[in-house]
Order: sequence, then structure tokens, then C-alpha cells
Amino acid sequence: MSAGSHKTYRIPIGPVHVGLKEPVTTWLDVDGERIVKATVRPGSIHRGIEWMARERNPIQVIYLAERICGICSFTHIVAFLRAVEDAAKIEVPIRAQYIRSLVLELERVHSHILWAGVACYTFGYDSAFNLGMLLREKVMDVLEALTGNRVNYGVGTVGGVRRDLTPRAAKAVREMIEFYRREFQTFLDVVTEDPIAKARMRNVGVLSQEDAVKYCALGPTARGSGLRVDLRHSSPYEAYGDLGVTPLVPQDYNGEVFGDVYDRFFVRVMEVIQSLELLEKIVDGIPEGPITWEPKLPKVLSALKAADGIGWGIIEGPRGDDTHVVKLTKGEENVTWWKVRAPTYANAVSWPLMFKDQEIADAPLIINSIDPCISCMERILVSDARAGRSEILTRARLVERCREKTRRLMGA
Amino acid sequence: MTCRPQYVQECKCPDEVMNCIRETLGECLLEMELRERMDGMPRRVLYRDLWIRLKRDGFLKLVDRLMEIDFLHFHVMSGNDDGDVVTLNLHCSLFREAGAGHRLGVTLSIPIPKDDLVFPSLSGRIPGTEYSEREMREMLGIHFEGLQNTDLLFLPENWDEEIKPWRRDETGPAPENIRELS
Repeated sequence: MSAGSHKTYRIPIGPVHVGLKEPVTTWLDVDGERIVKATVRPGSIHRGIEWMARERNPIQVIYLAERICGICSFTHIVAFLRAVEDAAKIEVPIRAQYIRSLVLELERVHSHILWAGVACYTFGYDSAFNLGMLLREKVMDVLEALTGNRVNYGVGTVGGVRRDLTPRAAKAVREMIEFYRREFQTFLDVVTEDPIAKARMRNVGVLSQEDAVKYCALGPTARGSGLRVDLRHSSPYEAYGDLGVTPLVPQDYNGEVFGDVYDRFFVRVMEVIQSLELLEKIVDGIPEGPITWEPKLPKVLSALKAADGIGWGIIEGPRGDDTHVVKLTKGEENVTWWKVRAPTYANAVSWPLMFKDQEIADAPLIINSIDPCISCMERILVSDARAGRSEILTRARLVERCREKTRRLMGA
Repeated sequence: MTCRPQYVQECKCPDEVMNCIRETLGECLLEMELRERMDGMPRRVLYRDLWIRLKRDGFLKLVDRLMEIDFLHFHVMSGNDDGDVVTLNLHCSLFREAGAGHRLGVTLSIPIPKDDLVFPSLSGRIPGTEYSEREMREMLGIHFEGLQNTDLLFLPENWDEEIKPWRRDETGPAPENIRELS
């Protein structure tokens, strides 16, 4: 391949090895250090989960849904449960709705802090990464105190939740809120006030507002491009209608919007602070009452077997809106069909636009900027088709390249 | 038809949208249902979903009409093998940026006969539909007219494209194709 007199190379990033959560391949056509074109090829870890659900009843599918993703596991089950409850016309008690919202916001806090820390690690800001990981432990401890688990909490069920909010767990949430109000600003300052960190993220991986609309971008990726879209605001579910959520967009804080990695970073860290306010409102305002529509499981299964129709559950997860659609057929115990659309599925469509005219050194940062379910990249194979040469860059070498750029900016 | 890629800041009421759909579709409208989603304390309607079942012939006309109201935000396609037809559902939103509680979920459900499994691609109007159209092509065997990229999306490169994983007829996976997944 050639572009004018320049030779272009095709670089695959991924697919990744078995240790990764959600591998994906990105093919980059590069001219020197500049990315000319990007092609995304998912599918490396398609597990046929939707197909497997045809052999299971809705209660059993909850545990499949929870295992779609380790980070936003509760997001997936709430979206699934809302779809089932829509199809079966089941009303969830208000206390259960508050508890669902509580766990969803705790999940958002740990997901956003994890992402922000990893973004810092990617461009070589290890002290900020370590600070982020240190801070994240607090919310993980609270999730464990509340549910018994750090991930895959097993809290949700059709028509409610399986664990109540005890006074002790509520106290742990309040202490966590105080902890983050004391400590999180430091993390925000050391990253957003650092000129090198800002230089690595500003004007990198830009997604314009117009493209964000056309390519149906979601969540912090869409809000980072200035779109005031947040399902907690535009179609409130669970307790969000009582909490009053306003979409956070960079122009409200910085006066303008760039739609770059920095803006996506900024939206996420500000949403951590927003989540603390929501958590406080939940703990202060949670009403008394039952936590399930029907505590006896055989009765729930009987109601689900009598249901007939399609239900749609859509909620604002940490990475954007998570959509589940379920068909239940009268007289059948199992789910007839189930469709899952995780946010990365939608945001990845706009990935190629973000890569265009960027440097290879920025590729890991751009990939991470939509917060995909990919924990790391395995290797890069640089091939020169004309000369028949190839060179494998390890993941460590790729990250090193990203960090070299930071050192260049620092003048070291 | 192309539509300006921006969202309206003021919504229309669901009745107005439903009237507009009835006028646009005429005999192509098979069924329409407005679902009110109630949550919160006190229990009240917090948002609405509109479910529309229509004939394939009216699909593009309806999409173009909805795009005049607001840029149609596309979420995903779902579908099922329902015997003589494959039912395709497009899950979308209107008024995504029009304020608190104003988003209107819109599902367009279209039965496509199996002996003519062709459907117009929306990827020219809404580029965000590309992944879903590719997924429905490889999983259910729907041919999208106008879809530029027909590479496999989720299935492996060496997949036998005669096998459509989500079909329940002879084109679906045979027992010998399936390893024990359950």
C-alpha cells in the first residue's frame, strides 16, 4: 500500500490473549508515525451468551448477564431485569429501586476511577495511576461490605433485590463519601493541573459533536463531545427520577468542548464527584418497605411463565447506555430470545474517526479513551508488505513508546 | 436522504409523534403501542416507549419522517426467526437531548419474509447502524441493501456463512455444529 510517495504499513493491535476481558483487533494503516486509517474487528471473545440464554429461565439468565462484564456486571443485570419486568409487567418496590441505584452509582465510581488511573498509566504517569488504584480500593471495600463481593455482586433479582441496605452498610457508604470528598480532589488536581498530562490528552483522539450524533456515541464518550445526553436525566429509571441528575459536559466547566481524550477524562472524573452527591441522596432518602415484588421464587417463575411479550431495558452504565431486549413467550419457562448491546458495541463504531491523523504513540490512549472492556493489548505486529519484513512489538514496547512521547514533552 | 446531525432541544408530545406515524405509514402500520414506564416515589410516569409494528414497504418513509422530527438515535437491532418470517426490531430514541424525562424510546418491528430476506440499509443515513446490520446479516441471514461493509463482525473469519447461528430452521446450527455450551 502506498500514499503518494510514502509507504504505509498495516499494524494489527490485538487480538489479545486469554488473560484479557474482552479482546478486540484494531488494524491501523500508518504512514510513519501517523495513523491514516483504522479498522476495528471485534469478535475474538464472542461467547454466544444470547444463544445460551435460550436454554435458561429468566432467573438463570441473571447470572449469565452478570458475567458479561466484570466491571459493569450490575449494570448488565439491571438492564436485563428491567427488560424482563417490562415484558412481564412486574412492578419493583421503591426501596429496591433505591438499592439498585445505590449499587449502580458505586459501580460507576469504581469504574471511572479505574479508567482514569489506567489512562494515566498508559502515558507514563505512574504516581497518578497508583493514587487512583489506592483511592478505588475504598469503593471496592464498600461493595464487599454491602454485597459480600468485589465484583459480580449477586444482588439483583426479578422484581427487586436480594440484599437490603443495613444500617452498617449505610454507615460504610457515608464514610466512603466523606473519604472521597477529602481525598479525590488531589487525584483530580494532579492530573488536570499537570501540563504534561494535559498535553498528552488535549487534541488527541477527537470525536466531533456532529460525528458523535451520526455514529450514535454514548455515555462519557458522547458527553466528552459536548452532547447533553444521559439516560438518568432523559429517561430516569429506578430512583433517578427522585435524585435529579444533570448531564455533565466539558463546556459547562471549561467554557468550550474539544471532544478529545482530555474531555472524556474530565467528564469521568467529574462524574465521580456527581455520583457521591447521588449516593448521599440515596442513603438519606431511601424509603422503608419490601425489597422484592415477590419473595417466593416459584411464584416469580410462575408469573414469568405466564408472561408474553417483548421487554426493553435501557440504563446509563459507566461507559454509556446499556440495552437489553428480552422476549418471553406464554407457557414457556425459558427466555425465547435475548439481545444485549453493551456500550462498547456502539462506541467502537466511532473509534476509526478518533484514530485518524493521530500518532502510533497515542493509539493505546485513544483505544482506552472510550473505556472499552479491554484491560490491555497483547502485541503489535508491524509488517512491511513490500519488503516482506515484520517486527513484533510487545505490549510493553507499545506502552514504552507511549511513555517516550511523554518524556519528549517533558524535555527529558 | 440525509439529516442534519444534531438533536432538537424541545420535544413533541407522544400523541403528536403517534399521529405523525399513522399519517406517514397509512396501511403499512400494523400495530402501535405506547408504554408508560413508571418509577420513583411517588410512583409516576418517568419516560415512555413507543412500539411500532410495520410493513417493510413503509420503513424508509417512516425513518425519513422521524428524522425530520429529531435525529433518530439508534441503539441496536434485535431479531428472531419466527417461522415464515424473520422479525427485525430496531431500537431507537427520539428527543435524547430534549430535557428531563423527554426521551421517547422507539422500537420499529418489521416482519421480513424468509423467501425475500432483504432489508434497506440505514448506514447511509445513520452510520452508527453499521455494526448491527453486519451482526443481523451474519446471525440471521438478512441482506441489507446498500450496506458497504459486509465483512463478518463477531463470527470468526473461517466461519461457514451458510450457517446462521440465530436461525431456528435448517440454516441454523445443527446439533453436530454445537459444542456443549449450556
